[in-house]
Amino acid sequence: MRRLSGVPAVWRALTPPVCRTVPWRALAAGGALGLLLAGMPRMVDGLNDDFYALNLLRAAALAFALSLAFLLDDPARHTTAAVPTPRPARQALRVALVAPVAALWWTAALLLVPAEVRPPTGDITLEAAATLVLTLAASATALRFAQEAEPGTAVAAGLLLTAALTMVLVPDRWAMFVYMKDEGWAASHDRWAMVLAMAVLVWGVCGPEPLRRRVRPVPSGA
Amino acid sequence: MTAIMEAAPPVTSAQPRQSWAAVVALAGFEGRRLLLRVPVLLALAVYAFWIVWHTRDSFDGFPALQDADRSTQGAPLLVALAVMVCVNQSVLRSRRRDTERHFAVLVLQPGRRTAAHVLSVLPATAVVAACVAVQFTWEALKPGAIGTGSPGELLVGPLSVLLFGAIGVLVARLAPSAVAVPLMVVFFLFLFVFGASPALSDDWTRWLYPVVGESSANILPSDLLGRPAAWHALYLAGLALSVALLAVLIGGARKGVAGTALAGALALTVVGGVGQAAGLSDETAAARVRASVTPEKEQTCVERGRSTYCAFPEWTPRVATWAGVVDHVQSLSGGTAKGQQLLVRQRIEARYGLDSDAAVFPLSTPHQVTVGTAWGGNRVPEFSVGVASVLIAGNEKAVGEMCDGRMVTVMWTALAWESDPVAALRRVRLDDSVTGSATVLAPTESLSMTAGQTEVVRQLLEQPRDAVAAKVKARWAELTDPKVTTGRAAQLLGVAVPKGADKCDG
Repeated sequence: MRRLSGVPAVWRALTPPVCRTVPWRALAAGGALGLLLAGMPRMVDGLNDDFYALNLLRAAALAFALSLAFLLDDPARHTTAAVPTPRPARQALRVALVAPVAALWWTAALLLVPAEVRPPTGDITLEAAATLVLTLAASATALRFAQEAEPGTAVAAGLLLTAALTMVLVPDRWAMFVYMKDEGWAASHDRWAMVLAMAVLVWGVCGPEPLRRRVRPVPSGA
Repeated sequence: MTAIMEAAPPVTSAQPRQSWAAVVALAGFEGRRLLLRVPVLLALAVYAFWIVWHTRDSFDGFPALQDADRSTQGAPLLVALAVMVCVNQSVLRSRRRDTERHFAVLVLQPGRRTAAHVLSVLPATAVVAACVAVQFTWEALKPGAIGTGSPGELLVGPLSVLLFGAIGVLVARLAPSAVAVPLMVVFFLFLFVFGASPALSDDWTRWLYPVVGESSANILPSDLLGRPAAWHALYLAGLALSVALLAVLIGGARKGVAGTALAGALALTVVGGVGQAAGLSDETAAARVRASVTPEKEQTCVERGRSTYCAFPEWTPRVATWAGVVDHVQSLSGGTAKGQQLLVRQRIEARYGLDSDAAVFPLSTPHQVTVGTAWGGNRVPEFSVGVASVLIAGNEKAVGEMCDGRMVTVMWTALAWESDPVAALRRVRLDDSVTGSATVLAPTESLSMTAGQTEVVRQLLEQPRDAVAAKVKARWAELTDPKVTTGRAAQLLGVAVPKGADKCDG
């Protein structure tokens, strides 16, 4: 058996199979809905103002994030736990494959919104990035702390619930979804940056396989 | 072999009943699981928390039940969305766990399993119905509650849970992918947050949404609301039933029975949809005009003490509360105002329905005070200002032109009886201040206070009430003379005279 020598060779060998495991159909569905939402200000007359444009872009980011919740699902995780390439590397490869697509998609979504009603590009991109990375961090956490091979469904449900509850419950002082002409806009984006940093950190911590694993029967949950 | 063949017939004849028992058993099991799923539990917890937090001091303790029923509709949508996500995941569980092959050998056909999943939404619906009942009963039991609720409006919350649960099952059968329903929720969230905005909908299309809100805080008598609540409930029930039956049909039920039922449910939806789209009936429109223009023909009048109180029939229980305020104000007045007979009449502007908050114009009829349909909170000191200003200026129209020292007496008699008069002064002023000039709200025309008047009134309100009352009554004739200045009023009442002359800028 020929040994794969050097890191680039491993990546080359890994890329095609990992590429096949990326949930492209879910990403396509989420991306399509996102673009549909982002395109609404152009299509519906009544939505062509900056308030709707801002919230439509947020909804678009949420739609894409929901499909991203399935990215780290790995039906073979219990088998692949033993392979020499560690889990963070395999996850990083998946994310690297999707990242250009996501960047392209977000650019398209931003360009779909008419320039005169488009929210500040940097700030809204920060919100979208924080949402997407938070989703990945949640998936990684679910993989790290549960035996579930495909936690995507639960992560998606949790993400939706978080979004809805953040809208309804979070007091004005810590509001995340602020209108850009309100004074809390800058402060809320400090919080978004914090969420992004925390999500990256959590993802980093939860990436590796646990060295010891509590052995217990796989829960027969939904 | 022949023995088995002979034994077979009774089993097949008994099968349908057993199979329906199995459907009910599966529905019970799935229903219990659904209620215990984390998203549903969390949504229910938030919903219950919201009910307590909201209803504790909603409507300032004086709810009109024809509005309180509508306030039960929005919050169940959170539960509805959680149920939609979770029921969808339960239907897809057998695919995710790859147990579909095992189910294929069981007696329960896919159509019946789908029916069981649809039925599993019922327990969650019942919980929401109970929550709605609790919220509405709580409002109805408040001592200040008036009016009547509509069952049609109360049904909207539970029916939307049923509808979204059915949608969750249908989507699982149409697009068996875990990502479909979460993506729909994003869309629905957006629709609900912004769907009720007038930008997206004109008069009849907005009734296609499950929850139809109103932009106005206007409180109208229940027969003038003009909301097709019963038709809308019928429409929602029909829609929920149609979606559920469609899911069962796609799930593989026998075409005949399910198809007929689906046709019936669709007919129900269409009937409800047409009924709710009919718009405002001519009778309601005419009744709205009558109530706005000639309220005296619609109202019942009650004598209390010296004064007469005329209110729409639903508001007559509130007369005693109004009479209490009038008595308080008159007990602080002097001269003829103390024994003045007043006519307190409830007036509304109902011609624009719930589309806009229209103001009620002031009357020039002497000694007539207007009271609105809302009560509690800021409405109490506002009515009190209305009473005091009519007692001193003579009629509501004259109040708007008042810009002299009488304002001091009006504000003091209006507010001094409150337990915290300075707080009442703050509440009754438009900008919530107790210094500087400001507009003062009243049931009809607003009044304006200058900075000097504010200063004098605040000093008076901070002093002991009885001492000031004695001075006010002794100097009543001078204090209520149209020529009195704020400086003179301050002198008469023994407080520091403010600098600057009276100058109204309202």
